[in-house]
Amino acid sequence: MHLIVNGVEREVDSAPLTPLLHVLREELGITSPKAGCQQGGCGSCTVLVGGEPRRSCLLAVATCEGFEVTTVEGLGTPERLAPLQAAFHEQYGAQCGFCTPGMLMASHALLERTPSPSRRDIESALAGHLCRCTGYVKIIAAVEAAARGDVASDQREPSLADADPSEPDVLIPGSPA
Amino acid sequence: MKVVGARLPRYDGIGHVTGRTRYVDDVRVPGMLWAKALRSPVDHAGIRVDTSAAARIRGVHAVVTHEDVPRNVYGHLEALGIPGDEPLFAEDVVRYKGQPIALVAAEDEDLAAEAVEAIRVDYDERPALFDIRKAADTDAPKVHHWGNWYPHFEGEMDRRQIRKGDVDRAFDQADVIVSGVYRPAAIEHCPIEPQTGLAVPEPDGRLTIYSVTQALYFSMGVVAAHLEWPLNKLKFVGGTVGGGFGGKVDTAADTPAALAALKSGRPVKWRWTREEELLCSSTRAPWHMEIADAVTSDGWILGRRMLTLHDSGAYARFSPYGLTKHSFHHTGAYTIPNLHFDGYVVFTNRVPTTAMRGFGVTGLSFATELHVSRIANVLGIDPFELRLKNANRIGDTSPNRIALPDPSTVPTILDIADALGHELPAEYRTMTRDRRDGELLPEHLVAQLASTEEAH
Repeated sequence: MHLIVNGVEREVDSAPLTPLLHVLREELGITSPKAGCQQGGCGSCTVLVGGEPRRSCLLAVATCEGFEVTTVEGLGTPERLAPLQAAFHEQYGAQCGFCTPGMLMASHALLERTPSPSRRDIESALAGHLCRCTGYVKIIAAVEAAARGDVASDQREPSLADADPSEPDVLIPGSPA
Repeated sequence: MKVVGARLPRYDGIGHVTGRTRYVDDVRVPGMLWAKALRSPVDHAGIRVDTSAAARIRGVHAVVTHEDVPRNVYGHLEALGIPGDEPLFAEDVVRYKGQPIALVAAEDEDLAAEAVEAIRVDYDERPALFDIRKAADTDAPKVHHWGNWYPHFEGEMDRRQIRKGDVDRAFDQADVIVSGVYRPAAIEHCPIEPQTGLAVPEPDGRLTIYSVTQALYFSMGVVAAHLEWPLNKLKFVGGTVGGGFGGKVDTAADTPAALAALKSGRPVKWRWTREEELLCSSTRAPWHMEIADAVTSDGWILGRRMLTLHDSGAYARFSPYGLTKHSFHHTGAYTIPNLHFDGYVVFTNRVPTTAMRGFGVTGLSFATELHVSRIANVLGIDPFELRLKNANRIGDTSPNRIALPDPSTVPTILDIADALGHELPAEYRTMTRDRRDGELLPEHLVAQLASTEEAH
């Protein structure tokens, strides 16, 4: 059996009814989709199959034959984040990060379909994606920022070296620095 | 100041948004086995276990029970003098539904689950206790042979008690007694990442353990205690937690995975299912809180009598510590000079309870704040004014007589009133947290004051 995963054709040996999540994680070593509940309830395993967000824990791999499967690894890299990824980073849309891959894939599918979504559109697209850290507010803000194009063009990781050099370091007593 | 007030990026944010952050379940080790647990399907029973059929299944590499644990009974807070009462694997009794009895390590998860089914257990069911209010009844089911509540507070007292001032006098002087009962329920932490542990035997005889723990060195100590190993034979890899909220302070998956790895000689990963998380991972403790306050008709709280029953579930874990914190905070953000508090850590046939976001205090704040509002309602006084009048101030002392150097009650209540547009008379609007004097230092609050030096 063959899948096209993040643009690369992959051969799959798993049995046809194996969940796509298991094939991605255990056979292909693609670990961004998470096994949060393995019963379709939490959304952390969400990937795109033919551009549509799908719960990979409930999807038999045989039904994906010939389809494009996209995971977070296919959106962007640390050196070159997709705008949606940059927005999640800048808006603090990821806290512990475990639900983030599913949130990103569902949001990505939404923005492909509806480039200027209403808040209701975003809430609807993310319904069933559970997050226990953020309270969702920053996640929704991240999707809105990405839709507005309100993403820093300089995606280099900011660092303390960017701080005003005229400001003296203040070290606590006994600091190893 | 380069950091305080600056909008800094999360150090782990790029990893999170690129799917590259490596959680325990994302770690792959060659030759790794998967584990599944046999858990009690009943709330309370005597048990006899026969694992021989499971151990004979091809592809099963280890079946671990209490017999494989060098030190099966260990308490998470033994270092604080709280004796251990909880077996890692049940021996002859199960005390809650979901309690681990055995762990199987096999070539894959399905085979491990199949082997769990092949373990024979005879359950001799016993009556179960679920309601902490019935724990002291003469006909209540006994959770432990010594009784239904924790007996080892200082001086081997069976309760955490606070006595401060002269509470009888306060109740004699009161115009009104305002009583209330408050019962916040258990809450499941429900992190999206379930409990997961991966233990890898190393060629030098050490074990590497990839852990979801929120408290890495603490978990290391727990594993070492069960194994009776020195710490230097354990290498812990942690720091990446897919949500914890207090529920991953308990070291749940690491020790059983370590024992299965030692018995099989292979790396073993144990990943809990969502059902296991909801059935038998620890929860926030439910409480039963009874409060009676002696109050004057002009809004002073002279004294408080309080009884708390803290539902510990089947074992003590961190509950004696949580109840102690609870006792120190039982007046909330307010100064009440005369106190009589008794708190009991009560055992039930429920999953053991644990820390969660403000351990021992959050549910208590619910009770104390509701109670203050109730007093205001009974007296017909503005609830903001009642709060400001009784608010903690510099130099006031907590229930356990700690001088408060900088309590935030007054500015917080004023901010809330401001945010809500709640009008206050000038004498309240201009209130500060400064030391009491004048009308805010009535006779009944003098004795509880700390000396000036104590309160800075």
